[in-house]
Amino acid sequence: MALRPKILVAEDEERIVGFISAVLTANGYDVITAGSGKETRSMLASHCPDLVLLDLGLPDMDGMDIIRSTREWTQLPIVVVTARDGERDKVAALDAGADDYITKPFGTHELLARIRTALRHARGSASSDALSASGIFTAGRLTIDYNKRWVLVDGENVHLTQNEYKIVSLLGLHAGKVLTYDYILKSIWGPSASGDNQVLRVHMANIRRKIERSPAEPEFIFTEVGVGYRIVEGDN
Amino acid sequence: MLRRTIERLLPFSWRDLAATVGIIGLAALLCAALKPISDSDFHVPLIFVLAVLMVSLATDGYLFGVLSSVIAVLGVNIVFTYPYFQMDFSMTGYPLTFLCMFAVSIITCTLTSRVRKSEKVKAEAEREKMRANLLRAISHDFRTPLTGMIGATNVVLENGDHLSEAEKTALLTGARNDAEWLIHMVENLLSITRIDADSGAELHKEPQAVEEVLGEAVSRFHRQYPAFRVEIRIPEEPLFVEMDATLIEQVLINLLINAAIHGHTADTAVVSVESGAEQVSVSVEDNGEGIRKELLPHLFDEYGARNARERENRNMGIGLSVCSTIVKAHGGQMHAENPPGGGARFTFTLPHSAAQMGGSDYGIET
Repeated sequence: MALRPKILVAEDEERIVGFISAVLTANGYDVITAGSGKETRSMLASHCPDLVLLDLGLPDMDGMDIIRSTREWTQLPIVVVTARDGERDKVAALDAGADDYITKPFGTHELLARIRTALRHARGSASSDALSASGIFTAGRLTIDYNKRWVLVDGENVHLTQNEYKIVSLLGLHAGKVLTYDYILKSIWGPSASGDNQVLRVHMANIRRKIERSPAEPEFIFTEVGVGYRIVEGDN
Repeated sequence: MLRRTIERLLPFSWRDLAATVGIIGLAALLCAALKPISDSDFHVPLIFVLAVLMVSLATDGYLFGVLSSVIAVLGVNIVFTYPYFQMDFSMTGYPLTFLCMFAVSIITCTLTSRVRKSEKVKAEAEREKMRANLLRAISHDFRTPLTGMIGATNVVLENGDHLSEAEKTALLTGARNDAEWLIHMVENLLSITRIDADSGAELHKEPQAVEEVLGEAVSRFHRQYPAFRVEIRIPEEPLFVEMDATLIEQVLINLLINAAIHGHTADTAVVSVESGAEQVSVSVEDNGEGIRKELLPHLFDEYGARNARERENRNMGIGLSVCSTIVKAHGGQMHAENPPGGGARFTFTLPHSAAQMGGSDYGIET
């Protein structure tokens, strides 16, 4: 029997814990739970889960502190659960080291996709399978060829500028995961890049006009308003 | 305690000081102007009484009213009545003038503050009433889906054995849809509290790509209504407008959900964005039955909300008044119409961003 990934659900609302556990167990995960920040910390240390699903509103501890203190000793994937209007929380959590977030209320489909993505990225480049083997990322009609440094849609070369290619390829490396404006800016324009998201939005508008059929109904690169961008998960 | 009482009775403000100086100055000027053409000083006290009255009316609290009465009494005595530029306590009726001025100022101040207070109380009561109405409306609107959810889940729990799979699915689907509707309403309420000026909440405005906000709104809408077609028409050029993205997204979702629920026969909505010289206008048009004529003029006000509810048009009222509150807070406008081709069309406008791309200092505006 294959080893089932172990997931720590840190959440104080019993009903939500109940339904998340049911979904995860039914989908091949082992679930352990923690109802407070303190318990979360000790469970993390003693059970070594493969991923933690962390509610930012635990009663006894600030979620950001839990993320920061966890990051001091482990890189295990952290997926944060937030309210919809908490853009600042989302960005802060991602900047503090969380891997991704999911917004309440969420569907089971979305939850499983986030967990799958986070687990896959955590396994690292060693098994970032197809991409590291061939240097090619494919998601439906979209192909990013890292060797030749070009992007194809329906097999046609899309003429991206240097920076546009850098943005798309960066998103492709972290496929399925949201990247904050700040992270993208710093990765491409260097650590001294100004915190001006506008430049990025303009680039993104141009990219969309080149790769999407309709820029307002994207198939490949999605906007997380107020947070950043996410590219679709690759095939396989 | 004492200090607070003093502050309440004698509030100081530069505006009031300016008003006091201005009015007393005017009175003095008037007296000075009248002096060469009139040989009696009879009008002087009258003009100053009037000045004191006006100061007391125009200023808050007692400080400036009383102050002006003292200045007026001294002014009348020293400057404008014989013997000029001397204090003269032997004038007949002087104590009476003094007392009169004093009384005028204090009485006027008292009356003014009383009127102001009652106006404030009235406005507060009005707001309280609106809030209570909203709360009542919401509680009423929430009860129906909640009852449905409890009922459906109870049936499945207690009589699950006697139900077919299809029946169970139908009951649970109903409960889920009700819950989704509830969460949507809660988002709406949260949006309102975000722009409630009283609570000091602020809009988080930033230049946003219209296509991004629109894209996210449509994809959220599609999660709930996957079968409803949405067609998007945006200008070729990328368009950036200053807005609070979460709130504008809420407006778009509300309008789309309205089309899906209240369009009845509607199965498609067209969202189009047009950029004018001073503003961007966004419209959501469906191919349904259109808006009933008698509702059209009242869609965005309290009456509309109440009326829509009475007709079992759940959500429409609250959803739309939330939309118009959000749009107004952005300095835009909103209106509804039945276009000639049928269906309903809701349009809102947003003023163009003052700051175009390039600037990095996009402060938070209130």
